[in-house]
Formats: sequence, structure tokens, C-alpha cells
Amino acid sequence: MRKLFLLATACGALQGCANLGVQPWEREVLARDDMQLDVNALDTAFDDHIYFSKEGTSGGRGFGGGGCGCN
Amino acid sequence: MANKDPGIGAAVAAATCSLLGTATPGVSVAADAEPKWDIESAFLYYGESDGRVKDLSLSALATRDFGDERKLGLDLSVDSLTGASPSGAIANSSAQTFTSPSGRDTYSTPAGEIPLDNTFLDTRFALNGSWSQPFARLYTVNAGLGFSSEYDYQHIGANFGLTRDFNQRNTTLSAALAYAQDTIKPVGGLPLPLAQMTDAVDDEQSPGNRGDNSDSKNVLDVLLGVTQVIGRHTLLRVNLSYSDSSGYLTDPYKILSVVDPVTGDLIGRTPAPGASGPTGVYRFESRPDSRRKEALYAELRHDFSGKVLQLGYRYSTDDWDVDSHTLESRLRLPIGGSSYFEPHVRYYQQTAASFYRYSLANGALPEFASADARLSEMSAVTMGLKYGHVNAGGNEWNTRLEFYRQTAKAPNEVLIGNQPGNTQMPDFDAVILQFGYHFKL
Amino acid sequence: MGGPCEVLTEIVDEAAARKVVDVVAACAWRIEGKFSRYRTDNIVARINASAGAPVEVDEETANLFDFAALMHRLSDGLFDISSGVLRRAWTFDGGDRTPAPAEIDALLPLVGWSKVRWERPVITLCPGMQIDFGGIGKEYAVDQATQLAAQVSGAAVLVNFGGDLAVTCARDGGQPWRVGIESIDAGPRRPARLVDLAAGALATSGDTYRFVKVGGERMPHILDPRDGRPIRGAPRSVTVAASTCTHAGMLATLAMLRGEHAEEFLANEDVRHWVQRA
Repeated sequence: MRKLFLLATACGALQGCANLGVQPWEREVLARDDMQLDVNALDTAFDDHIYFSKEGTSGGRGFGGGGCGCN
Repeated sequence: MANKDPGIGAAVAAATCSLLGTATPGVSVAADAEPKWDIESAFLYYGESDGRVKDLSLSALATRDFGDERKLGLDLSVDSLTGASPSGAIANSSAQTFTSPSGRDTYSTPAGEIPLDNTFLDTRFALNGSWSQPFARLYTVNAGLGFSSEYDYQHIGANFGLTRDFNQRNTTLSAALAYAQDTIKPVGGLPLPLAQMTDAVDDEQSPGNRGDNSDSKNVLDVLLGVTQVIGRHTLLRVNLSYSDSSGYLTDPYKILSVVDPVTGDLIGRTPAPGASGPTGVYRFESRPDSRRKEALYAELRHDFSGKVLQLGYRYSTDDWDVDSHTLESRLRLPIGGSSYFEPHVRYYQQTAASFYRYSLANGALPEFASADARLSEMSAVTMGLKYGHVNAGGNEWNTRLEFYRQTAKAPNEVLIGNQPGNTQMPDFDAVILQFGYHFKL
Repeated sequence: MGGPCEVLTEIVDEAAARKVVDVVAACAWRIEGKFSRYRTDNIVARINASAGAPVEVDEETANLFDFAALMHRLSDGLFDISSGVLRRAWTFDGGDRTPAPAEIDALLPLVGWSKVRWERPVITLCPGMQIDFGGIGKEYAVDQATQLAAQVSGAAVLVNFGGDLAVTCARDGGQPWRVGIESIDAGPRRPARLVDLAAGALATSGDTYRFVKVGGERMPHILDPRDGRPIRGAPRSVTVAASTCTHAGMLATLAMLRGEHAEEFLANEDVRHWVQRA
């Protein structure tokens, strides 16, 4: 748990760099469909369901989907 | 706003009137006509090797954009599961017979093979709805409800979240909470923890090793996330999640083989006269009634000349001692202006749960034990390829083919007698084939 | 008109439809003939060859000069119909060649509406100066053509000259016209933005067809007449909806000229607009 907390704090510190980022008129690549975090939403949902029922760990990415009696 | 610049529009309009010789400026009536519904639909086939589980699934995900960033999401899926699953019992040098989960039938496994329980035939329905909308200038709020049902399991859940943008929307913080209540009502009733498998009984009688007919499980999930724009071509997402499950977490259909503590061989058993039943001593598994998990997930998306690399890593740890690492990557390669290939690899590994056993030594029973390979020391690799094509109407057809290989290992500490070097784990390969269509209405 | 021109109409009768098309086409050819800078026999050619001598112009041309003068004033000098000579240093054909500052500076003395003597109906340029109506001619033609179409037929007509368009009225049953704004990204993966137009016009200012690459960045062909350089931080494309095409086109052009403040400018003008950035 401590390892996790340190890792998370390190990531948090990274986020503090306010000079990371782009101007509003530089977002053309980021606005593309294939750069969105949920681009393969259905594939991800299927995969999460398969891995949830075949492996010992699940989740971490987000919510949505639901339980099933397979684990 | 007292000092709002009146703008030059009126002057331009008046000047245009003079130019065109019209008395009045006329009207402008124009509005966005963006397609309202965005629908992703797919058909998926999942098939394991050696006559094991097969799944056919149909899914549709529909998003309705109401404008002003208000969105409704609807997710419907139907799953049909068939095939056999390892029961947790180990292979034996002679054939074995087991009582089925209902307690009323028996099934057998040939010598030398890992016992598979093939009494699964299940159809599952799931429905999820979600809503998201802006809330004050840089805030978005979202909420969702989910429901799923299969013949022995029901799930109902709700989630709620908030996001806030910073740094000209380069940084987004999100926090979300989800709560679910699941009810399990297994065929034959819930086995008593570590109860011994008994002979098959007929309909009027009770198997004798069952407790309640049903039980429930609650899950609370908390998620904190940051999305950060790193540059014009790069996006990073980091999530911290915490999950607390409590209630009935055991798999009511899984068993363990009981073995001689010295030799490690299965303890034989003869069914009662006139009855059919198990030819060995087998016990139902029992898991703790609580599980706390923490996970760190990070995902990077990077564009380089139109190709997009996605790299994801997840580390998870819990109080069952199942620690896992997942590393996953996808690379989207556009072909021409309207198609793409997307190779995909995933590597997964986990440590065994503290109560994982390959088999149970005859004698004093531990508090918890499970021989479910999903809780053993395990690794898995996925490799796949997706292909998509956008047609003239802007809608996309896609297909993907993936291969999954899972390899499990029983840690030496849980092996008994002459088992080391002789273990047989229910490793398997699986194929995933999917066809999808993404269109707008 | 620098692009394909089309007329869309719901008129069922072929003869009536043909009448509308003829009137629109005639209008387009007339205005192109009269105000194109590529001709050698029209009023624009005569003015550009005047070498400092005064030239008297007709009423229509005078109206355009009045309009251009007012736009020059309202835009604080950013909109300038005498900035065409800068073309000699920049070749906007998709190539990579950028002129040396000295080349541009040499042309600057020939640029500037304030150097032009415009006293209706007489215009006097300084020797070597050139004027062109490229920034307003097409939109003006759309409006004229649409007016004529409305006079000739009561049916719904949409006039589209290379992406600048106007409608006479809504379609049957009050239905709007469905128009697509071309996406700046090539290919069907970013399909056009759809707009429902029931009245008025749409005009687009942008670099889809003409641009030059400077340091790997695409620069639209909107130049700042005050220093001859392309406007930095300009959007790739601006589309505006207004009651007339001339009005819409002017706001779109002025928004481009505002560079990184394009969205601010348009939000303040309170018009429906779509800005695409690269």
C-alpha cells in the first residue's frame, strides 16, 4: 500500500507542472476520435468482462459494466 | 456587462444593406445539425480450447448528445455461455465421478484429465444507463445505473462522479464512487463452507450440505483520476482506485480435492449402496467474506504522424494477497484515409491468493481454501489484430481477432506429498472474434 | 469564382428550374467578368493599369469601394483590398517557399488603402498599387444571384459558389437546408460538420485550398497588410452564418484576421460560427 501511495504521489507531482499542456488552438490532434480515452469502448467492455471472469484482478480503468456470477 | 464591446456586426449589416440595395438586413436562421445518436454495436465469439467455455455475446452502446455537453449513454448486452469450466478438483490416475452442483446428478472425468464441470448453460442480460452534464463552468457531473441478470445471479449498481478542469482544460481531475449489490442463488442452494460433496439425491430430498438458498455481496468502489495533456500529441491518464467487497464472495460451484497428507494422492470413497456419487473426497471451497483491493492504472496515448500508440499499465494489490501487473499496448495504424489496422498485446501476471490450495490435506481444515485457478499464481498473454474501415457515410465496420493463453502455477508451498513436479493446471488457450459496426443516426 | 458553383432548388418544373439556373449563372459570369483580377479588359484591369491616374467608376463598382473603405476602417486596417501586390512575394500554391523579409518590405510601400484617393466616383491609386475584390467579390455575387433567383421564382433556392452560399427561403414545409462544412482533415474519418440553414447565408474563410507551409506549419493566405506577413495563430477555417453572404464572409475574414482571438471576436459578434483550428 505504501508503494502505491508513493507512486501516486509521484504522478501527482508530475501533474503539478503547469507548463505541460497546449493552447486551445493546438488541440487538433487531441480532438481526433482515435486519441480519445474511450475510443474502443465496446472492445474494452468485452475485454474487461472476459478478464474479470478469467483472472483474479479486475477494474482500475473506470466504472460501467457490472457484475456477473463468473468470479 | 457594462463595458461589452458592441461589435461591428451592426455596422457591417448596415453596410451590406447599402451595398446590396436592400431595405432591411434580413434574417439568419442556422443551427448545428449534428447526428444525435452515436451507436456502437458488436457481436463477439469467445471460445476456449479443449471443449471448455464458449461465449456468444451481442452488445450495443448508444450515446445521445443533447448539445451543451449533456450526454445520455445506454448499454445493452446479451451473453450466452456454454461449455465446461474446471471445478477445482485435480486430475487423478483413475476416472473420477462427482455430484453435480444441483446435488441431484453426477458427472465423470476420465483418468488423467482435469475435472471439468460442464453443467453450465447460461444466458445473461445486462443494461447500463449513464448521464453526464456540465455543472458550473469547469465541472462535469455524471451518474449511472446498472443491472444484470442471469439464472443464478443478479446485479444492481449505481455510480456517481465529478470532474473538474484546470490549466485551460489541460488537466482534468475526476472522482467517482460506485456501489453495487449482487445476489447469488446457485442451483442446489449455497454449499456450507468446506462441506464435503455427498451422494446425489433425488428431488424430494435435500443434499444435506447446503445452507441458505441465496446470499448477497456488496461492492463499494472509489476512483480518483487525473487526465493530463502532455503536448499536442500526447495524453496521460492516471487512476487510483479502491474497492471493498463484502458478503458472499465464494464460488458456490468450485470444489477442492482432499488428498492424503503424506502421499498427496486423492482419498478414495465409495458412494452409499444404491446411490451414485463422488468417488473421492471433495469439499466445497470457502473464501473470506471481505476483500479490499487497491489499484494504480496509467494510460498513455501518443500520436506520431497519424499513428496512435496506446500504452497502459495497471498494478493491483489486495488483502487476499493477489497482486497483479498488467501491461497492455495498442497501435493504431491508419491505411489510406478510411481504414486502419490495430495490433494489440497484453501481458498479465498475478500472485496466488493466500488461501489458494492445489488440494486439501486430509485432516484439520483451514478457515478458507479455494482451488480456483483464477486465484493461483498465473500469467496470461493476449495478442490480437483489429481492422476497421470507414465507409462513405462516415460509419465504421470493424473486426478483431485475438488469441489468449493463460498459464497457471500452484506455488510450492501449497503442494503436498509427491505433488511437486506432478501438478496439472487447467491452462487454456482462447480465441476472441468480434464483428462491430459503429454508426450515427 | 475559384471553385465549383451550383444551384439547388426544389422546383419540380424543369423550365422554371432552368430559368433560375440561367439567371444565377448569368449573374456569376457577369460579376466574375467585371471584377476578376485575371481579366485584362474590365474595370479592375483598367484601375490597376492606371499608373496613378484617376479613374471614374460606375455605380456598382463605387458601391463596392464604399463597402471596402468602411470595412478597412471597421477592421483598423486589417481588411485591405490593396494588399494583393503582396502576392508577388508569396506563391500560395501549397509549396514551401517563403520570401525573404527584404522582398516583402520592398512591396509594402505599394500596400495600404489609406494611400488610395477614393472620392466617389473617382479612384486614384499610387503608381504600382493594385486593388482586387477577391475578399468580397464571391460573397457579393452569391447575394446578387440569390436576390435574382428570389425575383424569378418563389420556390426555395440555394446558391452555392465554391462553399459560400445563401438561400432564398426555407424548403417545403419550413424544412431547413442541410449543409455540410468541409472538415479541414482530409478523408471520411472526420466527416463534415452539419448545419441546418433555414434562412440567410453561410460563408467560409480558410486554407483548405490555398496555403503555404512555414516551418512545418500551414499558414492560411490571409496576410496582415500592415507588415505583409500571414496572420499568426489564425484558425484553419472559419464559417459564419449571417443574413447575407457578404456579411457572413466579411465576419469570417475579419475573424481570421484576428488570429488567436478569432473565437473571441465571433462570440462578441453574436453570430453562429464554426472555427476549425490546426
